[in-house]
Amino acid sequence: MIHVKDMSKMIGISIVSFCAVFVCALFLNFYLDLIPAKALIHTDAAKILYEAQCSTAKVVSIVSGGCLLFTTAVLLCFDIGHYIDARSRQLGVLKALGWPGFSVALHFWAFGPPVLAGTALGYAGAHLFMPVFYETQNKDGFLPDISIAFHPGLCLCLVFVPAAFFSLLAIACSYIKLKVPALRLIREQSLQKAVPAKRETDLPFLQELKKSNVRQRKSLVFFLTFSVFCFASTTQMSGSMTELSSPLMAYMILSIGVLLAAVTLLIATTSVIRANRKTIAMMKAFGYRAGECSRAVLDGYRPWTYLGFALGTVYQYVLLKLTVTVVFRDFEDIPAYEFDVPAMFLSLAAFLILYETVLWGYTKQMKKISLKEIMLD
Amino acid sequence: MITVKDLHKFYGSGGSRSEVLKGISLDIEEGEFAVILGASGSGKSTFLNVVSGLEAADGGSVCYEDQDISRMNDAQASRFRKEIVGFVFQQYFLLPGLTVDKNVKMGADLAGNKNYRSLIEAVGLGDKLKKYPHELSGGEQQRVSIARALAKKPKVLYLDEPTGALDEATGRRVLDLLCRLQRELGFTMVMVTHNQNIAQTAGTVLSMNSGRIVERRRNSSPKTAYEIAW
Ligand SMILES: Nc1ncnc2c1ncn2[C@@H]1O[C@H](COP(=O)(O)OP(=O)(O)O)[C@@H](O)[C@H]1O
Ligand SMILES: [Mg+2]
Repeated sequence: MIHVKDMSKMIGISIVSFCAVFVCALFLNFYLDLIPAKALIHTDAAKILYEAQCSTAKVVSIVSGGCLLFTTAVLLCFDIGHYIDARSRQLGVLKALGWPGFSVALHFWAFGPPVLAGTALGYAGAHLFMPVFYETQNKDGFLPDISIAFHPGLCLCLVFVPAAFFSLLAIACSYIKLKVPALRLIREQSLQKAVPAKRETDLPFLQELKKSNVRQRKSLVFFLTFSVFCFASTTQMSGSMTELSSPLMAYMILSIGVLLAAVTLLIATTSVIRANRKTIAMMKAFGYRAGECSRAVLDGYRPWTYLGFALGTVYQYVLLKLTVTVVFRDFEDIPAYEFDVPAMFLSLAAFLILYETVLWGYTKQMKKISLKEIMLD
Repeated sequence: MITVKDLHKFYGSGGSRSEVLKGISLDIEEGEFAVILGASGSGKSTFLNVVSGLEAADGGSVCYEDQDISRMNDAQASRFRKEIVGFVFQQYFLLPGLTVDKNVKMGADLAGNKNYRSLIEAVGLGDKLKKYPHELSGGEQQRVSIARALAKKPKVLYLDEPTGALDEATGRRVLDLLCRLQRELGFTMVMVTHNQNIAQTAGTVLSMNSGRIVERRRNSSPKTAYEIAW
């Protein structure tokens, strides 16, 4: 029921879980290896450095690892929900034919393997990267040699538990979704749950469509806002990281942040387009231009992306300020942290370019949507 | 006037390539009501899609007045559809998130038509303006889709089995509405159907069989939707 072709669309999930596990494994493993080294430390300088390293490892794995894990969970839930919505009709037919909901839902365990692939690769990748990482963390040689150890518990928690968890989550999600009457699924009514406008308006059609789109798809609004939030916070954070921590870490956070944001943004826009394929095809049949279609469908989300950007900017500022004032308060040579205006503008520019490129790509793709395709659907 | 000359259309490629339209030539006068009659799979929908500029032809030409539709690029075809064509589908294809009046507005805005509400009343849905498509019956949805197509003031209205998904009573009502509006407003109407009886309501009947027009008949005294058998 779930084909290889569908699995290839889940590559986003794999990428995100890869990133999350990569960062967490790197810092947590380092932290775990650092603990036994404590007995070998005698000088005061080394003690301070040791404490600093411990806090950094903890803060980074909690903050960025936690963020990434949260993103992964949001992304997965979104994808699972979307996947099931897209197959609403097939699932409804199965149910109407008398298949018990639970045995259909069980098929959704297949969401586990892409996660497992991502987490396993992320864990392996972290171990490959560890020698370089350990060396930069101790480049002054104050600390005794920290050897890389393999922690089975960590491996279990970061690789297998998430995969199992998301398999179960997918099964539970689909089971709940399948509880509605078969006919509703077949008519795809869960998708067309019309949310009436609060106020009666008499705007031009394209604007009505824009507004209704945002109104009908709150989860997408949230998801898109969230992905821009992640992008804004990670890119700006990495800018400040170069001063506060090592450039290596800054690059790592930066590349992971950009990758994550790109993946989530792509997934979000893809689902907007997919959810609107029929509408777009219909509008094109009536003679609306591809550009008009894409603007009507995607422009409504634009204010929300800006909101996400603003929130992400504030969030990273508060987070770094807190980190500097609370965690590192005992250290004298930590530079004072100020809001980084150029970093913000750079990040904003990068975001605009990314967003516009995605929009442009979809406008091109929209030209290819044919009515035929949806009529045969 | 619509002039079709030696129209060819293929689907698939290589070994599975099949010719769906095998050299169709015909013309349809302005203000005419023509029915294209043929069994399922004979290529009627394909023909309608190509003639209305929704799909490209693989050979031959389709002209509307002096514009060659088969030579148009995407932007030109889109403009042609905007200015000339109205389309009604068997499955209605209303926009699910929008109410009846907004759905009709989708057509009306293309022609700057401010008076679209009167069309909704003309199709008998004046009291359902604020309903969503899934709150309507099949016949009502089809009437909305007709209002939507007419709201853009098309010069030619194409209909692909507009009554195919409706029961007899509803089907008659929709067909009657179409025939009356066509006579009142005077647009050209091309309807595809596999129902022999419906053909009796049209002025011209073109019979199609496996990708070819096999017969062209003029009907001097078309019947109304309530006079034909179903
Ligand atoms: N996209 C397509 N790809 C391949 N074959 C197609 C496609 N669309 C239609 N066909 C084939 O073309 C033939 C005519 O289809 P169609 O025009 O839909 O017939 P009708 O509307 O008269 O029932 C059928 O045999 C159908 O299988
Ligand atoms: Mg057909």
